[in-house]
Amino acid sequence: MATGTRAARSRFTLIFLLLSSATLLTLDARDFEPLQRTEETLADLISPLRSGADRLFGPVGDAWAGVTGYDELKAENQMLRQELQELEGQKILDSDAVIRLESLLDELGLPYVLDIPNVVGEVVTANVGNFDRYSVQINRGSDDGIRNGMPVVTRGGLVGRIDGDPGQGHSRVTLLTDPGFEVGVLAVGTDDVALASGGGRGKPLMVAKGLEIDTEVALGHEVVTSGVDRSRYPPGIPVGIVTDIDFDEARLLQLLTVEPSANADNLSFVTVLLYDSLAEGS
Amino acid sequence: MTTATAYLRSALFLLTALILHLALFSDLRVLGVAPEVPLAVAVTAGLVGGPERGAIAGFAIGLGIDLYLPTLFGLSALIYTVWGYSVGLIEVRIFRSAWWINVLVAAAATAGGLLVYAVLGELLGEANLYTDRLYRVMGVAAAGNLVLSLPLLGLWRWSWPGLLGEER
Repeated sequence: MATGTRAARSRFTLIFLLLSSATLLTLDARDFEPLQRTEETLADLISPLRSGADRLFGPVGDAWAGVTGYDELKAENQMLRQELQELEGQKILDSDAVIRLESLLDELGLPYVLDIPNVVGEVVTANVGNFDRYSVQINRGSDDGIRNGMPVVTRGGLVGRIDGDPGQGHSRVTLLTDPGFEVGVLAVGTDDVALASGGGRGKPLMVAKGLEIDTEVALGHEVVTSGVDRSRYPPGIPVGIVTDIDFDEARLLQLLTVEPSANADNLSFVTVLLYDSLAEGS
Repeated sequence: MTTATAYLRSALFLLTALILHLALFSDLRVLGVAPEVPLAVAVTAGLVGGPERGAIAGFAIGLGIDLYLPTLFGLSALIYTVWGYSVGLIEVRIFRSAWWINVLVAAAATAGGLLVYAVLGELLGEANLYTDRLYRVMGVAAAGNLVLSLPLLGLWRWSWPGLLGEER
């Protein structure tokens, strides 16, 4: 009898919890604001404990990464040495390229990115699960003026955007390698605005929409954010370099492969541009 | 031990497990895969405490980890609830717990839970869950939870010392 009662109670509990989960899923899918505020509050409450634990266990994680990633680090070190040698040789050409890019941006009437108010944030968690490889958390949030959708950059260029409403002292950044990430771009020196999308971790961006077949684009061309009306991003943020060009004869479009100019892996610090596209446009 | 103490211990255990996962275990990656501590907590709760406590523990730690995942809030809670309950049910009805069976069940449940998470997540519109990498994640995470389930089983027994045997 008691066993039957317990089984019935178990089933009731299960159904209650399943309905609660389904309700939360539905509300979150509909961007129900009170739920999002509750999530932020809960995350903020846990935040001090987490920060303390991060400080305590940070060295353990670093040591583990050092041990398990030794071969990877060695290969990366070798690759970086090689790149450094190439960069030394290209120094003069690179400075020329920077001047050329700036003058082209001036010609296009694009404002210089560094004029935009910004806030530097530290990456506090790369990712906590096995399915969130395209996002990181930073230790800056709404108290610092950060809002949903703001662009996130490093010295190399665009690395992502703020995803969702930030908490008071933390926010989530979706990286531009995310296959769902899209950004309006143009190849410097052209007028065609195209859409670049993430290609996955360690893979280049793809431009498959918007670039007409007769637009003159060459390998090595710089690609920057277009900043067209209602874009989330200000114009002129470096996105990458064209490394391959293909043609879609049926749709009369060019398909570009773009190597990101900023490395979105192993980020330590990022800069959030406090750019409100709606305010800029008004 | 009073019921209040058992609840307090359980809450403390769940919070500690969540913090440890966020601050430590998510960095201890093998082949790029982290142990799935929250899922292991849900499954071992079912193994020790039976279906009802497995479901409650799974729901609680699922909500906790959902705060930090970019997927829909409630997705982990939903799956961990079902998994905690199901494993608890299987344990009560079939296995009646040799320790090594519990450990193997925890590992198998981890792999299964991740598969369901990926499939359900994709059905609900989440991207990048069901990928070529999924089977590697399932294998490595299951192996990780094979190791972690032993201390977790012990910790649940500490949380619910009066619940072993008939009381489940």
